[in-house]
Amino acid sequence: MSKIHVITDSGSDLPQEILTEYNIHVVPLTVQFGDEIYRDGVEISVEEFYRRLEAASEIPSTCQPSPADFVRVYEEVAEPGDTIISIHLSSKMSGTYQSAVLASSMIDPEIEVRVVDSRSASLGIGVTALVAAKAVLAGEDVDGVLAAVQRVIDDMQVYFMVDTLEYLQKNGRIGMASAFVGTLLNIKPILTLQDGMVAPFEKIRGRVKAINRIKEMMDRYKKQHPDRKLMAAISHANALHDAQRLADYLEEQHLLDSKIMIGSIGPTIGVHTGAGTIALFIYPV
Amino acid sequence: MDVITGSVLKNMLLVAAYNLEQQKDTVNALNVFPVPDGDTGTNMSLTLNAAVKELERTNGDDISRLTSLLARGSLMGARGNSGVILSQFFRGFAKGLEDVTTEATGADLARALVSSSKTTYRAVMKPVEGTMLTVGRRAGEAAQAAAEEGGGATEVLQAALDAAKAAVEDTPNILPVLKEAGVVDAGGQGMLCIFEGMFIGLTRSLEEFAEENGIAPQPSLELVEPAQEHVAVTVNKYCTEFIILGENLDPETVRNEIASKGDSMIVVGDSDVVKVHIHTDFPGEVLQFCASLGNLTEIAIDNMYLQNLDYEEHKKQHRLDLPEDNVVGFPVAPQGDPKPLGIVAVVPGEGLAEIFRSLGVDYIVPGGQTMNPSTEELVQAVNSVNAEAVIILPNNKNVIFSAEQAKELVDKPVGVVPTRTTPQGISALMSFVADDSLEDNLEAMEDAMGEVKTGEVTFAVRATVAGDLRIEERDIIGLAEGQIAVVGSDPNEVAFNLLETLVDEDSSVISIYYGADQKAEAALALSEDVQEKYPECEVEVYQGEQPLYYYIVSVE
Repeated sequence: MSKIHVITDSGSDLPQEILTEYNIHVVPLTVQFGDEIYRDGVEISVEEFYRRLEAASEIPSTCQPSPADFVRVYEEVAEPGDTIISIHLSSKMSGTYQSAVLASSMIDPEIEVRVVDSRSASLGIGVTALVAAKAVLAGEDVDGVLAAVQRVIDDMQVYFMVDTLEYLQKNGRIGMASAFVGTLLNIKPILTLQDGMVAPFEKIRGRVKAINRIKEMMDRYKKQHPDRKLMAAISHANALHDAQRLADYLEEQHLLDSKIMIGSIGPTIGVHTGAGTIALFIYPV
Repeated sequence: MDVITGSVLKNMLLVAAYNLEQQKDTVNALNVFPVPDGDTGTNMSLTLNAAVKELERTNGDDISRLTSLLARGSLMGARGNSGVILSQFFRGFAKGLEDVTTEATGADLARALVSSSKTTYRAVMKPVEGTMLTVGRRAGEAAQAAAEEGGGATEVLQAALDAAKAAVEDTPNILPVLKEAGVVDAGGQGMLCIFEGMFIGLTRSLEEFAEENGIAPQPSLELVEPAQEHVAVTVNKYCTEFIILGENLDPETVRNEIASKGDSMIVVGDSDVVKVHIHTDFPGEVLQFCASLGNLTEIAIDNMYLQNLDYEEHKKQHRLDLPEDNVVGFPVAPQGDPKPLGIVAVVPGEGLAEIFRSLGVDYIVPGGQTMNPSTEELVQAVNSVNAEAVIILPNNKNVIFSAEQAKELVDKPVGVVPTRTTPQGISALMSFVADDSLEDNLEAMEDAMGEVKTGEVTFAVRATVAGDLRIEERDIIGLAEGQIAVVGSDPNEVAFNLLETLVDEDSSVISIYYGADQKAEAALALSEDVQEKYPECEVEVYQGEQPLYYYIVSVE
């Protein structure tokens, strides 16, 4: 019987136990510190990454997987007759999606690959992949799974706070949020993703206030969608304490309809945000 | 004297301006708050000087013409709340005399003084008695009574002067805060100086009066040079400035016609007088066009390159205040399309100015604490911003009123966020969104300015009592949200104690902006003490370079 496989990339930040439980496969991007190149999650751990990031004199960069990397994983995972749903980093922020599209035309034509642009990053991709995997387990066909995936992509709202805009700026992923650059004050910008790109949301002074503001955004979303069941995920870059406090608040306020998922921002995304980032992904189910 | 001529009236106003200037320090000393800023005497004197300077624009004796020049001059020159009220006083005065040409009778003067007072009351949202409003009103009432009894010009002005004197003495009985401080109202005293000067000017010339005082009359204050912004390296090398005098002039028409001939253009004025400043390669064409509209005067054309007017000098002369990269993310091109929204902020100190610029402010009007900017400076600031609409952040309670007045004098939509302190201005800027409408931004910024508490550390300019606090001259005082809360002898100690009154369990960020006379090491030492005391807060230190205030602190 033909199967549906869910594949994502290392920008999805899903915890290992979720990947295992839901049988989601990950194609790693590579992170480059100077001349040294590591495959995210394979050759460098999250802990080691942030240690090195802090010590690095130059901000490292990432590189998308090559089409060949995708072909290898696709052919490893799928049998002829199977379908692959391959969900990736926003095409506006990374060439990963493009590599996957190229790879889909290079493999055994008996394997169907549907490449999805998540228009998101971190757990924004992660929860989309998770929704796909759950729909597969629930027995949905390919169209059913893709429809569920599209709903999440369309309805998801993302708010994230970075400690500094330096990383987004140096890596050219700052988009419209460049308007926030250059202030002399210690501002914790709250950013969002719009049309798959980083966009400015608010300037806030101080980390505590910024996290409080993210809480308010959750409250506001709930008020705007009183009839819908809400889910949320939080990812953090070496800031578990703040992520946990935010999660506790959301659960105490009974804003969610399932346990909140917390994920660690790995090297692929961490290179662009720097340590200290907290991101909230809200989506109705 | 039963009637006065235009030339007598002119002399009266000149003597009034002189008299006020001589006594401005006395008036300044009456400020209830013993802080070294917001000087009422200085503000009123500068306003009146700007007003009488306008009188030089005519050699004629037409009373209505003189008073309308006076009104306009004071409107543009108004500084601080007292200056704005004074300018409204003269507006009413001009209105009361609009049909009078050669001679004003006692009744005419009484009508004008009543009209003056009414205009001041209308201009203020919540009129407070025991202030210059009361002094003006009682003077007007007394003048009217004297006129009804058949009094001539001398009797009417005498009555007004006597009533003003009594009203000033009465102000502490009406306003408890004056009684507590043991002073009369400063603005009221300023009004009295004006009435006094006008009365003296009835019979004595300015020269005679000045001689009696033993001090030569000061030339009235220079008109503020047109400030302007975004001077890029330009091919428009002639800095061209002049004034058009005429009838039915329209600054907009002038602007539209000459805009294409150069850049850094500023055109301000009204139907009688238009002031033009432009950098152009074709000064002749600009002059030729404007000469067709009226009489040109005070023409000045400088070659910015050939003469030793290099760019830096020019910048200084024009009070330019523009960093290399004015605003990151908002490229400012004088000739380009206007952006939807620009921001003008009144900021004391270069350090704070840099912070405001970095937050997207297009034009900084320096001042606030040492010197309240005039309405004209604000008008020019607004006009120099290449934007369809402009938001003004006054950042000082004594500038809000001038900003509101400036709003009425420009063609483009302007919104004033009534920020009373620099931190409120910063807080308001946090919620500025360049893509949102003027209205949405005003609402969001006004909300945001309330999220910050401000503390200020300065010195007392005189001894006073504030609640339980006994303050000696030169004591260091700490103001929490504008109220004296702490007294001491050391700025760091006062700032530390002041923060105790401002920080509560919801506070998360404490910012310290240290002043021009404060050392960085002292500020760092303060921040370390504060951080130790409030470990859960983020403590930030910035060089504000503001004058007179050792520290401005904010808590949010």
